[in-house]
Amino acid sequence: MNRTLAPKTSTVSHIDFQSPEIITLQNGAKLYAIRKTNDETVRIDFVFDAGSLKTSKIIAQLTGDLLLSGTHDKSSDEIEEAIDALGGFNGVEITKEKAKISVIGLREHIVSIAETLVDAIMNVNFNPKEIKQLLQSKKKKMAISLEKVSTQARRAFISDLMQNSPYGDLVQLEDYDHIEQSDLIEFHKEKYLKGLKYISIVGAIDDQDLATIQSLGEQFKKEEITSFDYDYSYSPNNIHIEKDQAVQTAIRVGRVLFNKQHTDFIKFSVVNTILGGYFGSRLMTSIREDKGYTYGIGSGVAQLSETGYFFISTEVGKEFKDLTLEAIQEEITLLQTEEVSKKELDLVKNYIIGQILEQSDGAQAMMDRFISVETFGLDFSYYDDFIKQVKEVTAEELKELANRYLNWEDFVVVCAG
Amino acid sequence: MVKFERFELDNGLRVIFHKDVTTPMAVVNTLYDVGARDESPERTGFAHLFEHLMFGGSINIPNFDGPLQEAGGNNNAFTSNDMTNYYDVVPVQNIETALWLESDRMLSLAFTDKSLEVQRSVVIEEFKQRYLNQPYGDLWLEFRPLAYKVHPYQWATIGKNIEHIEEATMEEVKDFFHTHYHPGNAILCIAGNLELEEVKRLVGKWYGDIPAREKKVRNLPQEPKQTEFRTKTIEREVPSDLYTYGFKMAGKGQQGYYEADLISDVLGRGKSSRLYKRLKKELELVTEINAYVMGSMDPGLLMLSVHPSDGTTLEEIDTEIWKVLEELKSTPIEASELEKIINKVKTTKAFSEQGVLNTSIALCMNELLGDANLINTETEEYEKVNVEGIQTHAQNILQKTNCTQLIIKAKKNDE
Repeated sequence: MNRTLAPKTSTVSHIDFQSPEIITLQNGAKLYAIRKTNDETVRIDFVFDAGSLKTSKIIAQLTGDLLLSGTHDKSSDEIEEAIDALGGFNGVEITKEKAKISVIGLREHIVSIAETLVDAIMNVNFNPKEIKQLLQSKKKKMAISLEKVSTQARRAFISDLMQNSPYGDLVQLEDYDHIEQSDLIEFHKEKYLKGLKYISIVGAIDDQDLATIQSLGEQFKKEEITSFDYDYSYSPNNIHIEKDQAVQTAIRVGRVLFNKQHTDFIKFSVVNTILGGYFGSRLMTSIREDKGYTYGIGSGVAQLSETGYFFISTEVGKEFKDLTLEAIQEEITLLQTEEVSKKELDLVKNYIIGQILEQSDGAQAMMDRFISVETFGLDFSYYDDFIKQVKEVTAEELKELANRYLNWEDFVVVCAG
Repeated sequence: MVKFERFELDNGLRVIFHKDVTTPMAVVNTLYDVGARDESPERTGFAHLFEHLMFGGSINIPNFDGPLQEAGGNNNAFTSNDMTNYYDVVPVQNIETALWLESDRMLSLAFTDKSLEVQRSVVIEEFKQRYLNQPYGDLWLEFRPLAYKVHPYQWATIGKNIEHIEEATMEEVKDFFHTHYHPGNAILCIAGNLELEEVKRLVGKWYGDIPAREKKVRNLPQEPKQTEFRTKTIEREVPSDLYTYGFKMAGKGQQGYYEADLISDVLGRGKSSRLYKRLKKELELVTEINAYVMGSMDPGLLMLSVHPSDGTTLEEIDTEIWKVLEELKSTPIEASELEKIINKVKTTKAFSEQGVLNTSIALCMNELLGDANLINTETEEYEKVNVEGIQTHAQNILQKTNCTQLIIKAKKNDE
């Protein structure tokens, strides 16, 4: 047997995307369900129009964190105890754009868990003692996080890049000292009680349980969601944050770009993958595997509801900061001046399509894929188009995209450490 | 119920096959029975450094990642104190690419100087990023040698210090490979929509001619029973104090492990746990408090992690923690509380086994513990734990003389 010869491979030709069941609730909100699963697990997400763009600073985060903090007839301990007793877990994820309240549990208990959760959310009374305790622990956590050069670089990057929109408006430590209970009550009333966006369910529940969860969702109202219309203009910049004791420097480099609604998004994703989007990317190969400056470096396109931004992110030995910035520029210039070889391009195309297959594997993964297009007003045909465009894109087009979108003079460059 | 088949090659390679018809992906998971506990005290961090070198090209294939990516797959690896695990996830029609790559690096690495030099630098940056450049990042570098005086758990997988990584030589790398990387020291799991006969044929084809080597008998110094309370205070540039407690407990697969795991849940997992309710909600002495077990194979640690509220003292927090611990020792817990904890374990287990990759890793780890089928019987073992078992083991574990404590104090800048 000749071990130097690779076995034959074949490209993934087709991915079978299974749309969830879609039910419209009486309040107009959607319920998405994937019930063909092969185990006992169930996950339910209740998603509200309660992201931090819809209020000032930390109100959204605090409101989300306090949803299970007690009602007029149940303490927070009792609520947590009730969910725990059923083997349930709950989670809260507040982003700029939405609030996702999740519960997971086994099928036999999931409806009871969801009922407890929804009762808690509907009737939360924002007990001042609970607010005080939360503020203390959040403030402490944030103070710890602010010590990290990676946090410092990320914050400086986003606040500079998004300086003209609320995306750049960051929570500060002192914000925790100026919170009124009435702010939370008001936000909860407007954005939770009236702000259900959708519910998603992954798990093999029966029709009756589905109907129960549907009626839980119908306890909320759904008001027309106002779209954002912000100014995403920015100025290229160079920022350095000094931290004496740091042994590494965190680097963030990037620019405002676009999200998946843009016609260049898919083909630019290929450019991004080649540059820094996977383990074999050029940045990883040069800066980690060839030079050993870092444990990891990557790039990506973060997607916001109306736009997006391109970023490169790494932490490098302090003495390698300038060499790393030079090496990044070299790799970008190379993409702009030389066409990617057929060998590399074929590899990246196969890799990307293989990863879509893996990211669609399993019911929860399929739901995640669905939500990630639905959020942008797209459907599963987006992925068919994605695969088609990835297969078709040429080296020439990639070079042109690199020239159009990856100019160093357009970048905000942040170093911390 | 996770179904699987087992077979063994003549060279000693143990193979597990898990058929999953629902996934378009296949997994090749390889667990090597070597971890940081197998290192020399003079050359710590080696098992992990070696994990990096496993991606530096093998005897017949210059580049590991490229061909796998070209096949639409991805891969990664992790090292613990107990073992080293490598996995490849690839569209099922291209599984042979993963077998080709994995078998070749089991056969032999390329051992290039360039790979050693670069990965040495990468690991040093990893050391800085994860252990030196984070608030509380050196916690385990300090805690482990305090808790373990003899057993190699006294160092973290990253190693005791950067010097050990800087000084590693190519000869040591080759020696480490020869001792620990061979069929008899590995457990391979193949999972996906495949047939057993096909898996046997492919595994035989790629692994059958790898020479057998003798499995090194593990003879680690066992940690003597701890008989005194240990405490150490260090000052660091951090925003606030952190108190960490560790109690010696059984290793995974040993008598008493399940009880200890449940005790940690009763004490400090989630918002209805005893320490959380008492110290955070009721007394407001802490902003965060958690309990968990390390889950190591040799006798391990039940940990408490405590972020004190401003204006509190170690003494008052310590007193209240011990009151909660003493109560668990003196009063049997309610059956309903035990049932709650076991329900949470069941949910966690069901979710952690989702997906063909998680299942493959779990099968290999359980096989390393003695039987892959533990994946199916583990829940029953938790359900067998009763109220008396919790109390007896709490009495054994939660003793002052079995406790190690590390206090990280925030350095005051104005002093």
